[in-house]
Amino acid sequence: MNQEITKTKRPFMQSGRVFYLVPLVVALIPLFANNYLQFMANMIMVYVLVTVGFNLVIGNLGQLAFANTAFFGIGAYMTAILMTYAGFTYETALVGAAIFGGLAGLLASITALRGIRLYYLAIITLAFGELMRWVYIHGESVTRGTDGLPLPDVTVFGLSMHSDTAKFYFFLLITVLVVKGTSNLLRSRVGRAIMAIRDNEMTTASLGISTANYIILTFVWSGSVVGIAGGMFAAATGRVFPESFSLTEVIVHFAMVMVGGTGSLIGSVIGGIVLTALPEYFRQFPGMEELFFGIIIVIVLLFLPKGLVSLLAKVSPLFRERYFRE
Amino acid sequence: MLMQLTISGLSQGAIYALIALSLTVVFRATTVVNFGHGDFVLGGAFGVYVLVVMLGLPFVPSAIAAIVLMFVCGVLISRGFINPIKAGPHIGFAMMSISIGYIFRGTTRSIWGREVLPMPRVFDIEPVFIGDLVITGDAMIISGIVAILLLAFFIVFYKTSIGKLIQAVYQSERGATLIGINVQRFHDMMWGAGLAMGAVAGILIAPISLLHPDLGAGFLIRGFAAMTLGGFGSLGGAVAGGLILGIMEQYAGAYVNTALIDITSYLVILIVLVVRPSGLFGKRAVVRV
Amino acid sequence: MKLKTKRGLSLSVLAAVGLMASAAFAADTTGLTDTTIKVGVMGPFSGNASSYSKAQIGEMAYYKMINDQGGVHGRKFELIQEDTACQPAKGIAAAKKLISQEQVFMMHGNSCSGVAMAVRDIVVDAGVPWIIAHAVNPNISMPPTPNVFHGVPAGPAYGYSMGKFVMSKPGTKNVIMVEHSNDWAKSYADPTRDYMKEKGIEPSMVMTMERGQTDATAQVLKIKQAKPDFIVASLYEAETVIFLKDMKKYGVTDIPVMGAAGTDLENTLARIGDIETVKNYYVPHAFIDTVDGPGMKKWNDMILKYYPDETITGFSAISIGSAVAVVEALKNAGRDLTREKFIAEMDKIKNFDTGVFAAPITWSADDRHGVKESASAGFVNGKPTVMKGWNQPM
Repeated sequence: MNQEITKTKRPFMQSGRVFYLVPLVVALIPLFANNYLQFMANMIMVYVLVTVGFNLVIGNLGQLAFANTAFFGIGAYMTAILMTYAGFTYETALVGAAIFGGLAGLLASITALRGIRLYYLAIITLAFGELMRWVYIHGESVTRGTDGLPLPDVTVFGLSMHSDTAKFYFFLLITVLVVKGTSNLLRSRVGRAIMAIRDNEMTTASLGISTANYIILTFVWSGSVVGIAGGMFAAATGRVFPESFSLTEVIVHFAMVMVGGTGSLIGSVIGGIVLTALPEYFRQFPGMEELFFGIIIVIVLLFLPKGLVSLLAKVSPLFRERYFRE
Repeated sequence: MLMQLTISGLSQGAIYALIALSLTVVFRATTVVNFGHGDFVLGGAFGVYVLVVMLGLPFVPSAIAAIVLMFVCGVLISRGFINPIKAGPHIGFAMMSISIGYIFRGTTRSIWGREVLPMPRVFDIEPVFIGDLVITGDAMIISGIVAILLLAFFIVFYKTSIGKLIQAVYQSERGATLIGINVQRFHDMMWGAGLAMGAVAGILIAPISLLHPDLGAGFLIRGFAAMTLGGFGSLGGAVAGGLILGIMEQYAGAYVNTALIDITSYLVILIVLVVRPSGLFGKRAVVRV
Repeated sequence: MKLKTKRGLSLSVLAAVGLMASAAFAADTTGLTDTTIKVGVMGPFSGNASSYSKAQIGEMAYYKMINDQGGVHGRKFELIQEDTACQPAKGIAAAKKLISQEQVFMMHGNSCSGVAMAVRDIVVDAGVPWIIAHAVNPNISMPPTPNVFHGVPAGPAYGYSMGKFVMSKPGTKNVIMVEHSNDWAKSYADPTRDYMKEKGIEPSMVMTMERGQTDATAQVLKIKQAKPDFIVASLYEAETVIFLKDMKKYGVTDIPVMGAAGTDLENTLARIGDIETVKNYYVPHAFIDTVDGPGMKKWNDMILKYYPDETITGFSAISIGSAVAVVEALKNAGRDLTREKFIAEMDKIKNFDTGVFAAPITWSADDRHGVKESASAGFVNGKPTVMKGWNQPM
């Protein structure tokens, strides 16, 4: 039988390309949103990237490396520091944030490479995050400690980004680029290798795949993504404080990954959106937030262990993970 | 000053030892690290507060009731929240335990939220003075009770048939199932035991630290540091690690800089995991591919 | 089935956007109607600084009392409570919500200095009158901006009163300071250091005791060796108790300790239960009388009337002073109220006795630090007493 294997072109609404519509719809938000909602939209994008970066390491690579707040804080502080002390403009400072985040990721990867796994890795990376926070507090001459380090005026390619709306569009651009880039990564050989390492490290190594390189790559990519998110966070809030990068913060990141869907890129986006927007909804019950937070996560874990994305996946195959590029 | 710091360190360390031990008990039995443990420690203390201050019951029965209550909570958590997600990814347990801890903390905050409450204490023992050394009643009570508890624990573990059963399941769950041990019930009991021990720690430390919903947060990381130092999964190591950590905090604070006290735990974790990941008494912690 | 769901998804996105739109256009533009004035009250109602939100409770009780008395010129206060959890990001969201979505007339609140600094630029840009009711960082309100007022003693005022009290003890030369490394503690400790430095004294040691530490042995033993004349301890409630108890434990009971405005004498004594341990403890005290004293009774009763489950501490009445001044300014601005008129009236408040604070409030366009002084308080014959200086009850 002579069969040609041709790629079938799926209809637009059933292929991954429909997701390109999402940023187009999202871009309409500033037309309707007041300043508060605009700010929340910016924060949602920050946390989408945070979750995407984090999920790469704990979901796709399967390493319990909780260094996320360290990457987040380093990205935020480096952005502020580069802008304040080295006169960088925002877009170059963001590149700096990505680079330093990546370096931090490299540092974090060393522990994984040395064979530290599971809870040891979780704890050492948590310790790394808290030590960074101690540095932010006590490195006062540079970080201004607990007073917070303010950002000078944010400009991108000469355009002033003072308003939340301007920041929104810039953030949207970055978010789309980073998410698409990560999507390409996950759906390539690299992504498949990473997930193979997660599923069985020894077997993967025995197939001749250099696990060390892929582990490093994942950590560096994660660190860069979360570093960029930190830079966005700094610009959105205008002032960088050490308290924003504590242990409670990493728990929120963790929750976003789990609620969205571990190992799923779309899950990361969903988790970032839901767990940034929902606590704002719970503002009406002051003091009860921790309680609601805990209850929601317990419910999701018990009934949707693969995260909210699994619910959507039942409805449409678009939301199922595909490890190939069309 | 050195002796005083050592005594104070041992008394603080006893609490860390108890928390580390209760974490290890659950970890060894179920391979789950209870990230919400700090808040359960709090739960024991709040339980006693409610019974003594709000219901007017005498201290010792209240303490026992609170410990039993936390034991039951442990069993319920194991059965209701951990067991159902057994088949999922391992990190699911971490998130679940954190979330349950959040629920505990959120509940205490919505009921007692804004207050910092003094905790009733039962024994008011005068401090003992040996020359310049002060050994307070608190230090003696804490060290004493923790020592008795640890002794009882290790006697049960190594000398009784229940202890042998626990050891058997620790070594091989499959084997234990094959010979008819109800491993699920074992998990529940161990969760209960871990939470009960944590409750004891909470009841002991709350009179000193006062009662407020954030009490538990600091203890968790110290428990981890103690477990890491002693060797993850080693029961004796957890105790040794806790005591050493308590002393190290005191020395670092007095001889180097008080600003270090807070981060001693993190430094210990980093140094131990980089230099000797298996800690003092632990098993191989490193995976070589 | 699948296509329907796709459309369903797009529809819900558009619905969500539409909801946001309606929320944006719903409120009045300045938070004023014929019968209401919208006041945004931000504070740490959750999180580990939640005991500070007692200040917001006290302030809200006052506004509710004014409502029951008929309001101001026929308008009653509509209080919008927003939680900051003492976290800058959450505080920014709260401030933006109050300004852009709730569109309040004014904002009155904030216990956490970090949050206040984080939101300051946003509030200044929006031009909403903002009265700082508890946070002490002086940089929030000075250099002066058109719309920010400080309604409590700011850091320098506390530093002045703390430093002055310490120096009023005859022969004070060796001072040791213990503090948390957070911005709250620094906002008391730094101005105290500045004041003492002006008078020629530098602390011989500055030590850290972090929140959550349950033992102060290392710090106390070092103090015991150094034998200072005075200790300045900028610590929160629980840590103050632990510190004082450890001082007693190691026999260091005759060195006086000056606290920050993080706790009050009555509650500290209640938590420790032993007068011998606290007899040398002093705190800055901004009020006309002790927390349980007759001068404060009417305020405590008022708070309990509207919030019966509340426990009164030194924080409870701290925001009432500024609330009294605010209501006064609103009355003076008349029925025909605008933000400009309100701010102008606030700047006319001079030497105003609030009936709560020991010192009067004075605001002007050049100086928005309304309360310049605080008294102190200590135990005299076992009873909390307001004091001017060492051994000098009021």
